[in-house]
Amino acid sequence: MSQTVIQIPRLNDYPSDFEQLFKIWSQVNDHFLDIRFDFSRCGFLRPNAVAFLGGLARLIESRMGKAVFDWSTLRDSWVRTTIRQNGFAGAFGDLSAPWDGNSIPYREDAFSDMNTIMDYLTYNWIGKGWVHVSDRLRDAIAGKMWEIYGNAFEHSDSSIGVFSCGQHFPKHNTLVLSVVDFGQGIPEKIRNFVGNDPRAPGLPADACLRWAFTKGKSTCTDVARGLGLDLLKEFVRLNEGKLEVYSNEGYAIINKSGERYENRRISFEGTVVHITLHCDENLYQFRDEAASQR
Amino acid sequence: MKLSIKEKIGPRCIIKEDGQKIFDEIYEPLMRGETVTLDFNGVSQFATPFFNFAIGRLLNNISEADVRRYLQFENLNETGNSVVERVLENASKQHSNTQLRDIVAEILAKQAKGSD
Repeated sequence: MSQTVIQIPRLNDYPSDFEQLFKIWSQVNDHFLDIRFDFSRCGFLRPNAVAFLGGLARLIESRMGKAVFDWSTLRDSWVRTTIRQNGFAGAFGDLSAPWDGNSIPYREDAFSDMNTIMDYLTYNWIGKGWVHVSDRLRDAIAGKMWEIYGNAFEHSDSSIGVFSCGQHFPKHNTLVLSVVDFGQGIPEKIRNFVGNDPRAPGLPADACLRWAFTKGKSTCTDVARGLGLDLLKEFVRLNEGKLEVYSNEGYAIINKSGERYENRRISFEGTVVHITLHCDENLYQFRDEAASQR
Repeated sequence: MKLSIKEKIGPRCIIKEDGQKIFDEIYEPLMRGETVTLDFNGVSQFATPFFNFAIGRLLNNISEADVRRYLQFENLNETGNSVVERVLENASKQHSNTQLRDIVAEILAKQAKGSD
């Protein structure tokens, strides 16, 4: 089969950028493909795009295809530095080794290795020194972030695992983490779960996400569950951050002004959880820590 | 009976598999009405899957009042305690609603309410 060249555009983390990523997914959503990703038009690449493109390449490979990132087309020095620093380039054939900086390493987790992922969250993400938190609070935040990985591994049924990347943006004073899987997606999981009901195929994605984000709601029936997403919501609100979820054609955004659920024009098979936190130390304290500083 | 969580599973109470190990240790003694103490000394990280399986599922067969009476926690920090409370509250609510839920109706009802 002839090689197809996919141009990677400038990719930020607005909904329109995710639509571009989902369009790329739809171009390569097949078996036996030979894909070359070209960076010549890419002047910016956020960690959400890094995690997504890394996962996409592994998805193509898992379908007996070939995916190559053409590093010779990478002209933008900021993008080059970022994806070498976070280890993405090295994971896909570039000879550079990652180093410490504002980037938070690109990860591929084929299976749920709790201790490795918790170390990443504890020491490379929240505990890296971007924001000064006590060890106790660092541990508490890392535990809440685990809920994202726990959900991805348990509910997505992704055959290739979970992909993640983060970054600290000093100018905006924000800390970002994106976790991507190419499993069935939350709305589809719910539709399949209630598959015998004639109304199941018509359940709107936004309604499914709204339900999944409600405390105590879960497709698991053996043990009471459904607290993880609610805990995350609460944490993001307290810290005036932002939690966005793209899953199939559904989109959810939770921030300090509330929560909103939408159906979007472009769909993909899988889920992206994208979390943005402010590195304002006043937003990261237990009640007793805040009191002791008064 | 006293169980050191750190000795049994390590310093992180995160995943359901570890929660299941603790459940397997404490279920029978609690069913016999023995007092069980879980010692969290040296445990610093917590997530809901662990407690859903270690403690939440006890409520399938033991009343919430008995779980609270016979299951005791030592050296559990504020974060862990907050997760335990949420898990017990959630398990209690779901156990009391034992009728088969109509999830489709729930989803559609929430949607109608949310888009008002």
